[in-house]
Amino acid sequence: MIRKLGFDRFSALWLLGGFVLVFGVASGDKFLQWKPTFLGILTEGVVGLVLALAFLVPLTTGTYDLSVGRAMTASIGISTWLAKRDALPEALCVVVALAACVLIGLVNSYLVVKLRIDSFIATLGVTLLLDALALYIAKQVISGAWSDTYLEFGRTKLIFDIPFYVLIVFILMAIAWYVFEHTPVGRQMFAAGGNPDAARLAGVQTDRLVTGSLVASAVLGGFAGTLHTWKVGTYENSVGPGYLFPAIAAVFFGAVQFKGRPNVWGMVVATLTLAIGVKGLNLTFPSADAWLRSLFNGLSLIIAVAFASRSKVIKVPKRLRSKPSAGERTPGVEFASAGSASTN
Amino acid sequence: MQPVLSIEQLSKTFTGQAALRDVNLEVAEGEVHALVGQNGSGKSTLIKILAGYHQPDAGASAWSRGQPLTLGDGAAATAAGVRFVHQDLGLVGTLDTVDNIAIVNGFDTGPGRRIRWRNEYRRAREAMAGLGLDDFDVRAPVASLPPAQRTAVAIARAIEGWERGASLLVLDEPTATMPGDDVQRLFEIIRRLKARGVSILYVSHHLDEVFELADRVTVLRDGRKVVTTETSKLSYPDLVELIVGHGVDFGSASTGIDHAVMPVLKVRGLSGGGLTSFDLDVRPGEIVGIAGITGSGRESVLPFIAGQRPSDAGTVELSGVSLANYRPDDGVANGVAFVPAERARWAAIAPMVVRENTTVSDVKRFYSKLRLHRAPERVEVAGWIDRLSIKAPSAEAPITALSGGNQQKVIFARALRMSPQLLLLDEPTQGIDVGAKDQIHQLVDQAAADGVAVIVAASDTEELVRLCHRVLVLANGEVVLELAGTDVAVDRISHAQLQSARRSS
Repeated sequence: MIRKLGFDRFSALWLLGGFVLVFGVASGDKFLQWKPTFLGILTEGVVGLVLALAFLVPLTTGTYDLSVGRAMTASIGISTWLAKRDALPEALCVVVALAACVLIGLVNSYLVVKLRIDSFIATLGVTLLLDALALYIAKQVISGAWSDTYLEFGRTKLIFDIPFYVLIVFILMAIAWYVFEHTPVGRQMFAAGGNPDAARLAGVQTDRLVTGSLVASAVLGGFAGTLHTWKVGTYENSVGPGYLFPAIAAVFFGAVQFKGRPNVWGMVVATLTLAIGVKGLNLTFPSADAWLRSLFNGLSLIIAVAFASRSKVIKVPKRLRSKPSAGERTPGVEFASAGSASTN
Repeated sequence: MQPVLSIEQLSKTFTGQAALRDVNLEVAEGEVHALVGQNGSGKSTLIKILAGYHQPDAGASAWSRGQPLTLGDGAAATAAGVRFVHQDLGLVGTLDTVDNIAIVNGFDTGPGRRIRWRNEYRRAREAMAGLGLDDFDVRAPVASLPPAQRTAVAIARAIEGWERGASLLVLDEPTATMPGDDVQRLFEIIRRLKARGVSILYVSHHLDEVFELADRVTVLRDGRKVVTTETSKLSYPDLVELIVGHGVDFGSASTGIDHAVMPVLKVRGLSGGGLTSFDLDVRPGEIVGIAGITGSGRESVLPFIAGQRPSDAGTVELSGVSLANYRPDDGVANGVAFVPAERARWAAIAPMVVRENTTVSDVKRFYSKLRLHRAPERVEVAGWIDRLSIKAPSAEAPITALSGGNQQKVIFARALRMSPQLLLLDEPTQGIDVGAKDQIHQLVDQAAADGVAVIVAASDTEELVRLCHRVLVLANGEVVLELAGTDVAVDRISHAQLQSARRSS
């Protein structure tokens, strides 16, 4: 299928190779090591990856879900709160937290599908409501108090010191890829995203797909929170929104990879490419850390999308214009100032 | 007094087809002059040449108040004082009246390009008061105004500064999509304009409007001027006769419908969107046409049956199964296939390829053993491309890469591959070239021959005659005429459409 590894469709792969090469040389031995470099990228990257998937799922149906970052916060907060206050089993706490995320998804879909609020606005509003919840929980929960059960689970390793949860995340990606590319539901989601009116008339139940995808996105956002607790173990009300913009960037970077529409593996490769680039920069320039990540992510996104949209740029050759001689009226000037009722 | 507009020997040929042939037209100072004719008679072409969208063929000449006027030049028409209110009013719905007038006619600005809002408001209020609309809310977004007031805003904008050299106001089908009460309000505005001495060229389908407003009328038929005469010297049937002419009897579809067969579709009491209590039975293999001018309810019938728009009342039953209101998926699941009007908006799914567009209504067919099998999908789509002779670079090309006619054939393939019991075709050949049109007509014939019940709604009367066994003519939301078999003829449909265009109000 792949005829040509052009930069327009495979920029992430080119960048990935370039980063490995450049940083491998520039930072000496430090970069090209399984541990900590690549293993670190995997373990650090999975939370962002799941959140990106949460954003991707409704996006395929043409729906924005900005609340996934705060669904993540809510999931962490609820599971921590319950475990601390009621001393419930941790597994049950997580189930309750994810059930709460189902509720968030249902609220989102009610606003978008039933009340016909633009998804961007509706989920922005829900995000702000969840902000309130996050701050309220922060008052109730003293961070740090948390059983070791999850942290221990988070430390469970597979081969090559890969944590168990990394496997779970990649299984999740594979499931998402399967649904999008190998089931009728995936095809219908892309149809609904392409032209919702036409898809609806063709018999696609677009409202149902949007509802389902918004519930899925909230639960995936909640699962990103679960991953975070496996790794960190405590609640912090600021966790969540910080992941949102990089996740969105990865989705759009990934959307111009391979297929030219939002797709799972493009998103995965884009996320990992960005993570590797940031890691390499950090190792090469240890003094510059925080600001470099955002600078790098921003530039990569813009450059990749610019390459993918190159074909849309219309080149307008300059025309020689002769100046109208004095006294001669320029057509069009009169027209622009005149009282014609319509110009179409 | 010299006429405000006089056109002589105007011809226009589009790639071999003559749209206008040696047309003369003269509009006198201060008169309301109606321009009438059927679809395709050349009305729109004439207006478009006057507005500068089309160039006339060589040999035409025109004058405005004795000054030569270049036809096909928008700037020249504007300079000569010709003002237009097109059917699409060209208003920005989210802006108010003040802004809509000023964005075209210019803002009154002070130092630092500051807009003198006080002046702007006064100017807009005066403009509307000049049309008899005192205390008009000039700050309401125009989209929130009733249709007659929206048209009034467009007219106010067009005639602003009328005394400074304007000559002629062209109103192009201003009532086409207007409810009856609004039409009366618009008439009052037009009478007021006439009293102010504004010369008007009034294009319309509605003959009662012609008699109510116009001093003189020019009739076009097949691109030729039939006559220009005073309306007071004409009777209503005379005018209809002049418009339709003694047209040849077009060959119509055969009548091999077995009336003993039970209808597959039963529509009862369908209402809403300009339609009142519409009933219809369609038998398998029958092609039923829905005719009517814009606003007659014609454009609501198929959207209601298919679920594109919700109906206010009524039932739709297909083979004994009642179809849910506003649920196209219910229709598709029960054997309804719908080819909607306005393909780009309602049918083509733009970023998807031809293959995906063809199979979107039923992808499940290719899903088995937990996989979506693309090989059989490609084979099936290749079959449709072949059968419908769709010209596409490949089945993997985006649908937007195809010409309009070929896109429409893809939408037909989408519908036909569902093996429907009922095929709904809304303006099926709108904006499609003649060759593709003929192929699509053959597909419809074939579908009916295979026992599919077909309903065609079209503004193109000849298309209905070509295809249909039976035609219902709608006016003001009701069926005013039903023709069947050899009675289905262009002139009879046109007659009914025009006569029924009398408004009851």
